[in-house]
Amino acid sequence: MIVGDLKPRAEIVSAIKEYKQVLVLGCGSCVTVCLSGGEREAEQLSRELSQIRHIHGAPPKFEVGSILRQCERDLVIEYQDIPPGTDAVLSLACGAGVQVLADVFEPLPVIPALNTTFLGGSDKPGEWTEKCKGCGDCILIQTGGICPIARCAKSLFNGPCGGSQGGFCEVGGSRPCAWTQIVARLKKMDRLHHYEKINATKDWTKGGAAGPRKRVRIGLGDGNKRN
Amino acid sequence: MSYFRVNDNCNGCLACVENCPASALRFSDRDNRRTLKHSMTKCARCGQCWRICPQKAIEFQHLLEGSWDDVVTLDMIRCQVCSEPLYSTVYLQKMAGELNSTGEALCPLHRQRQAASKLPAVGLARVCAKLGYK
Repeated sequence: MIVGDLKPRAEIVSAIKEYKQVLVLGCGSCVTVCLSGGEREAEQLSRELSQIRHIHGAPPKFEVGSILRQCERDLVIEYQDIPPGTDAVLSLACGAGVQVLADVFEPLPVIPALNTTFLGGSDKPGEWTEKCKGCGDCILIQTGGICPIARCAKSLFNGPCGGSQGGFCEVGGSRPCAWTQIVARLKKMDRLHHYEKINATKDWTKGGAAGPRKRVRIGLGDGNKRN
Repeated sequence: MSYFRVNDNCNGCLACVENCPASALRFSDRDNRRTLKHSMTKCARCGQCWRICPQKAIEFQHLLEGSWDDVVTLDMIRCQVCSEPLYSTVYLQKMAGELNSTGEALCPLHRQRQAASKLPAVGLARVCAKLGYK
């Protein structure tokens, strides 16, 4: 899922202080599941921002809403109403959702309330870790289902660096060395020969280096729904 | 029937309501009765309620493996030769209106056969005669 973190309150307060009526809009998908941008967080943020001590002068009037996915243009157009008098939207979606809202409701300002952080998974309740960089050329079959692009601090492609110490990354904290994990996993899988394969330099054009990527599913879209 | 179900361990502590990130759980206290309410349209099926429940009362499997609900039932048109289901009568009416024609109810196979049968007969005898066979 896409994981995000609520921005510092001071940054949000600073971003909304010039507006009179703000729609605080949660997103019902990834950021709901990672407990950072769902309807509950939208309501909670609205309550916090309404407290006068956060705001110089009168706080804006807040309306709260939530939509299943802010990142789908047709869904937003059809089902998300902007209450009369709203002069800004404070979105608790990921960056994709914020941008779709900004496109749909142009010229209404859409303010991000979250920092979109990574594509990750939840290994245990209340903890999410980065798992994928969306590089566009998945090699998990070779690496025992552990991504060195996302989980190695240097995104190394052919084994660990000299900073791998006792199974941990030199970057610090308790970060495990992804390549130590990969080798251990491949051993368990009896697939250690995968580790001996030398990977060529990665083609990052598939990973966004050639500009924003686009996926077109033939047979959907044109003519069926509004674009 | 709700897909959100609890077992007899539920003691109405409302931990699930307090911790639902999608605001999909509510309760009402009325006439000395507490009712837990769930909205499937708001539910993100994140499992937070199931994780948080101190009584282990939430049977989350029903939100993962729910049964199928009937949505709409319409009269069907079948192939008039082999009875293969084709489309609904409503669809037929719409198509007939758009094409200004009703056409026959045939599956692709029998439509093809019917079309072939309407081709001008190219007599085998004629071909054979041309090739000098008798």
